[in-house]
Amino acid sequence: MDILTVHQLTKQYGTQMVVDHISFTLGAEKCIALIGPNGAGKTTTIRILTGLIKQSGGTIQFMNDKNMTDFRSYIGYLPQHPVFHHWMTGKEYLIYCAKLTYINKLEAEKQADILLEKVGIAHAKNKRIGTYSGGMKQRLGIAQAIIHQPKILFLDEPVSALDPIGRREVLNLMEELKKEMTILFSTHILSDADEISDELILLHGGKIVESGSMDLLRKKYQTAKIELEFENGVDDYEQKLTSIHAVTDTSIERSVIHVTVSNIEEARKEILKMASENNWRLMNFTVNRASLEDMFMKAVQ
Amino acid sequence: MQWITLFQKETKENWHNKKWVWVPIVFTMITIMDPITNYYLPEIINMAGGLPDGTVFELPTLAPEEVIMMSIEQLSMFGVLIIALMSMGIIAAERNSGVTEIILVKPIRYRNYITAKWTTLLLLVWLSLFVGMFLSWYYTNLLFGDISFLMLLQIIFFYGLWLTFVLTVSVFFNTMFKIPGLVAACTILTVIFMSIINMIFGHKLTWFPNQLSAHIQELVITNTVSKELIGTSIITLSLTIIILFAAIVLFQRKEIF
Repeated sequence: MDILTVHQLTKQYGTQMVVDHISFTLGAEKCIALIGPNGAGKTTTIRILTGLIKQSGGTIQFMNDKNMTDFRSYIGYLPQHPVFHHWMTGKEYLIYCAKLTYINKLEAEKQADILLEKVGIAHAKNKRIGTYSGGMKQRLGIAQAIIHQPKILFLDEPVSALDPIGRREVLNLMEELKKEMTILFSTHILSDADEISDELILLHGGKIVESGSMDLLRKKYQTAKIELEFENGVDDYEQKLTSIHAVTDTSIERSVIHVTVSNIEEARKEILKMASENNWRLMNFTVNRASLEDMFMKAVQ
Repeated sequence: MQWITLFQKETKENWHNKKWVWVPIVFTMITIMDPITNYYLPEIINMAGGLPDGTVFELPTLAPEEVIMMSIEQLSMFGVLIIALMSMGIIAAERNSGVTEIILVKPIRYRNYITAKWTTLLLLVWLSLFVGMFLSWYYTNLLFGDISFLMLLQIIFFYGLWLTFVLTVSVFFNTMFKIPGLVAACTILTVIFMSIINMIFGHKLTWFPNQLSAHIQELVITNTVSKELIGTSIITLSLTIIILFAAIVLFQRKEIF
């Protein structure tokens, strides 16, 4: 079942198109990464979907129900910089949030305890939020977003501001949550998207420049690459490499030449042959596939 | 249920920022200033070195009705200022800081959100008004002469309507702007603008909200609730309800961000 169908969504500030006619569909229990450089329109898109901002044009349909206009009961949201009532304790805040979503007091207290345990801040539940660290606030933010068991969870840059440990913990938590609900999260850190998302939406200048499942996109952008590392200067080698038929592009990074090839088998044979014939001082020979970063750079350019 | 949750949060928050304490204290300072300084004026003059010898200076003896109205006049200036300043951020500051970015994505009815805040503010202002005027009444009775407790309650009730109007104006501007200072400025300017209208057209606008204190003065002196006082009260109350309603409608259409 489709959870969210977005059609020709547009947001305009003056003459500037921040979100430019984007359309996509989010399926149930999927983890979708919204990636793009800073200023691509990621946060604006998420804020429109949560109802914090009104779109200039286009439609958002929830669970294929045309008549539903207020779907706040079914969504959870963690902003990029969550701000809490610092004078409340973590537990008080969760109970407050639960009661706002029409959960009764007893159930709210029970849920709050379960979630504090789940996100790993149970030890600080009776401390004021003002004393929490950044990572703890982020986890409290996730807890408040899922306390009413939403169908879809929006996370705006959930791990960008965290240290490596906090980042790992939040990613693990997301991995667990995606079994229960659809997650749409924005990030500009490609390895995070690579790690946990099933699908990907690439935004640039307010437009979707690429989207689809991870596997599909990988295949699409799979331009085979070979990396060559040399002991001495690389400039001479580059010229020779370009003379090989299967080589389509080369680029130099310190003592490494990145070679993009059209046919990996043919190129490997040719390069190795050339290397042994000419006694190249080769240190490293690696065959790899295009990374998400390559895809990103290519789609954005 | 949701309304009560929001209301409880507001009242608790007012404990944490001590508004339940300092607002009544400030109101009391405003209201008892005149009864006390007027009574002790001769002593104060003496302490300051006294008047030159031979000066004949008759201090007017004040009637208790005049003294208690002085408290009301002080409230019309400083009370309004205090209300504008203490309420300037109740919604604006929450939007500005980002607290609402989490809260208002939850299925909250905007009318619950606004009326819960409005009610808390209402309680705070009426509590402060009551404490302040009660002490003013106490000192007036002690130092100047009798005014009945029933009269005090009437004064508080009718003047409370004016302060309710002012705080509602503040809630209205809170839904319009995100900057607390701008909210306070607009509230104060609205009150000033209204008193200018009152000064120019007051003789024709007997039921204008700003006329309330004038009608209360008549009440204190004549001890009868006049037709004008009732009329002005109804107009003030109606305007309050309209503005509150407008605030809710406006907030629903507004982008939170």
